[in-house]
Order: sequence, then structure tokens, then C-alpha cells
Amino acid sequence: MSYIHVLNLEKRFVIREKRKKGALSREKKTVHALQNVSFDVERGELLGYIGPNGAGKSTTVKILSGILTPEGGEVTVGGRIPWKERKEHVRRIGVVFGQRTQLWWDVPIQDSYDLLKEIYRIPDADYRKRLGEMAEALQLTELLRTPLRQLSLGQKMRAELCGSLLHRPDLLFLDEPTIGLDAVSKLALRDFLKWENRQYGTTVLLTTHDMEDIVALCPRVMVLGHGRKLFDGTLGNLLSRYDTVRTVSVRYEETEARPVLPESVPVQRDGGSLVITYAPAEFPTAEMVTLLQKAGTIRELTVQSRNIDHLVADMYREMDL
Amino acid sequence: MKAYLSAFRMRRKMEMQYRGAVLGGIVCQVFFGLVLIAIYRALYAGKPQPMPLGRISSYVWLQQAFFRMLLASDPDLLDKIRTGSIAYDLCRPLNLYGFYYARILAQKMMGSLLRAVPMLAFAFLLPEGWGLQLPASAAGLAWSLAGLGLGLLCVSALENITMGFTMRTLDSRGMQGMLNMLMMILSGNILPLTLFPDSWQRVITLLPYAQLLDAPIRLYTGDTAPADAPGILLIQLCWVLALTGCGILFWRKNQRRIEIQGG
Repeated sequence: MSYIHVLNLEKRFVIREKRKKGALSREKKTVHALQNVSFDVERGELLGYIGPNGAGKSTTVKILSGILTPEGGEVTVGGRIPWKERKEHVRRIGVVFGQRTQLWWDVPIQDSYDLLKEIYRIPDADYRKRLGEMAEALQLTELLRTPLRQLSLGQKMRAELCGSLLHRPDLLFLDEPTIGLDAVSKLALRDFLKWENRQYGTTVLLTTHDMEDIVALCPRVMVLGHGRKLFDGTLGNLLSRYDTVRTVSVRYEETEARPVLPESVPVQRDGGSLVITYAPAEFPTAEMVTLLQKAGTIRELTVQSRNIDHLVADMYREMDL
Repeated sequence: MKAYLSAFRMRRKMEMQYRGAVLGGIVCQVFFGLVLIAIYRALYAGKPQPMPLGRISSYVWLQQAFFRMLLASDPDLLDKIRTGSIAYDLCRPLNLYGFYYARILAQKMMGSLLRAVPMLAFAFLLPEGWGLQLPASAAGLAWSLAGLGLGLLCVSALENITMGFTMRTLDSRGMQGMLNMLMMILSGNILPLTLFPDSWQRVITLLPYAQLLDAPIRLYTGDTAPADAPGILLIQLCWVLALTGCGILFWRKNQRRIEIQGG
């Protein structure tokens, strides 16, 4: 059986809403956070988990990490049912909740790590080696004696990640780990995750809204919306359906140069350049470039596919999310 | 076990960082102590009570010195529950009740010791009838220290039950406000339990709140003779066990129906 096995997972929440009339009366409403979600993950996989806010991503992570008990379905991680064999299960997993903190606010981060060492019963020698290695890779060595409250957001996130990996978990859940980070911190974090995955074969399940995270890290991606699984496969496959438009921007030596293009292809003027939007399926790029060259001497030419965030937005729109 | 001990040590260390709060607390509690004693002196000037004034002032000082044991919730824990950071603690290979108990115990112990030592030193220096008297006997002091230890376990167990309620209601204010009110009255902090009518005292001293500070203070002042001490400590022990047991069951039940706030 696969390392993570999820079959027909169901989770419901009961929400109490205030009625319009009467300050004290409340109405109960059932929300289906997850419906019939099934998937399998093999050891060592890097799986990206995307979907709009409220799709049920975090709920899945909380069930897989043994915090929540689902209403129906089967879940095993490494042969264990997370919420039934909680203690044995959580000993083998690491979790990073991007918007929360596990380290102690007022004390040096090293002290928080020392506590985690006791919690996970990490032997002294292992702990020293692991902390040294991680602090080095995450550039925390200089910061170990600094209280958490004095760290920047990027440093804090690296410190959180270090805390979650000290006990060398087999499985790592990352819930929006790059939220609010600057470009340098994001790149460093991604590099570290790749390294950790290669070095120790750590299985990683990543939920994020940052598509660059997925592009950089996850060969496989799963889309969730309204508590249902909508897609499971490679990112390339997912996007090829939506990646149907190219934009070419061209600037000629001669200002009055005008390429001759079919009526259906819109041309816009943007300063000194022309911006042309076309569908490569109907109008191959090579043909487009040939046509453009005929019109004059090209000084500058760029072909762009659409921004991945736009593609995902289109996808969510089409899936009615 | 080591993990719980480490959590205890860490929280203790943290408590020692807030020196300004300690100083503020001492000033506030000294003020309250002096005002309360002034009131009792006025009361005694009008109509002397059976309890000697010196015992009342000792009682007041001991209550004020260990005030932090009663009325102090760990703001970090409340925050964790409110914002959902408790999710991290829920995925540790630990018993959450024990983990939080260790933190609460450390905070209450360290917080009150840091304030009690200078305050009691100050109260010893005050004149007779205003200050703290020496313990009634060496045996009384020894018993009262043991009683204080049990009282600390008792109040930590109580606090952890309040935390359990907070996990359900998500806001500590309602339940805590109610329980704190009960605690302030029934623990003898506002009015020494020794001044309640005898018939009331027979019931009140059996309640959990009287086990926190009232029982050890009576052993100190000699209101309870050392010969009766084992009986008092037994009542305390029973409450520690009962409250801890209830708390563990409550938390276990809570953990099954937990929801995490904020996505």
C-alpha cells in the first residue's frame, strides 16, 4: 500500500450562524469541508496541494496530521490511522503552519529547539549534528541565541522550518510556508526543501497559493475546490489546457512599419512597440515571426506566455470555484 | 517525563524575564495589603473580633504575597487557543493536558515566588498589628509549606479546567470571569475565610478554593493546630486528585471534538 492512502475522505463542520432577527437565536448549518476525496502518495514524493481559500486544503492537512477526526473515509499514513494512533503517528511527521508559530516568543530559538529535542526524544549526538546541519543550511547559526520576537518574518519562517525538521520526520506538511516572504527568503526556503527531500527522502505535502512554489518544487499537483478533488497530475498537464494564448511584443527600426496580419488577430500600440495577442494552436509562433519580419527591420522582439497566476485564476473560474 | 519537565523549566525561565511586571505586582499587592489591614483595624476599633488582629494581618499579607498563584492565566496559552496555534501542540507526541499543566504550574509557582519573597520580607518589618507575624510553630511552618505545595497543584489543576472551557468557548473572558469571582471570594483573598461565620466556614473550607491558600495560611498562623494538619492535607490531596482527574477527562473529550480556528 502507498505511504499515504486516502479513500473517500469526508469532513463536515457545523457552523452556528446568527439569525437576522433575535440576538440570541442561532441557526445551525453544516458545511462539507471535504467530500469523497481520495489520493495516494508514495514515499519521497513532493506533492503540491492547491485550491482557492476555503477549499479544504488545511482541513486535509489537519486530518493527515491527526488533529481532526474525519466523519468518513479511510486514511492511513505509513500504515497508521493518524487520529487513532496519534502519538506514534505524530512522532514521524513534521508540520509547518505558515501563519502560526510553534517556537516560544520570548526566549532564544535554541531554547525552543532544546524543548523540541526533549519532546521528540532526540539523542544528544543526533540533535547536535542535525541542528548544526540545519542551522547552516537555513542560515540560522548566528541567530540561535536570539529571541524569536526579534527575528524578521523570513528568519522566523526559516526558524520554524528548522524546528519542524529537527526530529527528521518521514513526512513533512507545509501549509503556506512562503507566505509573506521576500524573494531571497523564498528561494532559500525552496532550495532547502529540495535538498532535504533528496538527502533524506522526506515526503513533502505542500499547500500554497504561490504558484512559483509549485513550479519550483512539485512534480505532482492536486487541485481541491469546494471540498472535492478536481485534478491530480503534473502541473504541465494541468496548465496546458489553460495556457492557450501568447503575447508578442515587437519594436521596429522604422516607426511606421506595420505587419500584415489576419483580421482576427488584435494589434495594440504600446509606446513604440506593437503588442499582438494570438493563439499558437491556430497561428504557429514560427509563422507569426516570419510575418513580423516581412514588415520591417526588427529591433526588439519578445514572446510571452501568460503569467501562471492568471492561468490558475482562469482554471478556478472555469471550475467554478 | 523529561519533555514536561523541560516545558516547566522553560516557562519558569520566561516568567523571570518580566521583572517590570514583578515590580508592578509587588507595589499593587502591597497597596492592597495595607488598605485591607487598615480596614480590618477600623473594624476592630469599632467592635473587636474573636480572631486576634495580628493573625488577620498575617493572613492578609500571605494572601497578597501569593496572589499571583490565584489570578494569573498564561496569556500565551489563551492566545494559542484563540488563534489556533494550538494546532502545533496537538501534533506533538505528548499528552496535552500534562504539557499545559507543566506550563501553568511553572508560571504560578515562579510568578508568585518572585513576588512573595520581597513582599513577605517587607511585611515582616512592619509593626505589630500591621505586619506579618512569625509562624505559630516550626511544625506549623513545615505543614504550611507542604500545604502550599498541594495548594499550588490544586490551583494549577483548576486553571487547566478553565483552559478546557476556553477551548470550547474560544474566549476565556466569560467562564474565567465567573470562576475568578468565585475564586477570589471562596479562597479568602477578599475577606479572610477565618472571618466568615463558623457555620459557613465548615462548608467553605471543604471546597477546592479553600485548599489553595487558606489551608496553608491557617497552618502558618496557628488557626489550625499542627495535630490537625494531616487531615487538612488529606482534604487538599483529595481535591488535587479529583481536579486533575476531571481535567484529564475533560481535555480528552475536548480533543475529540476539536476545531482549529483561522484556516
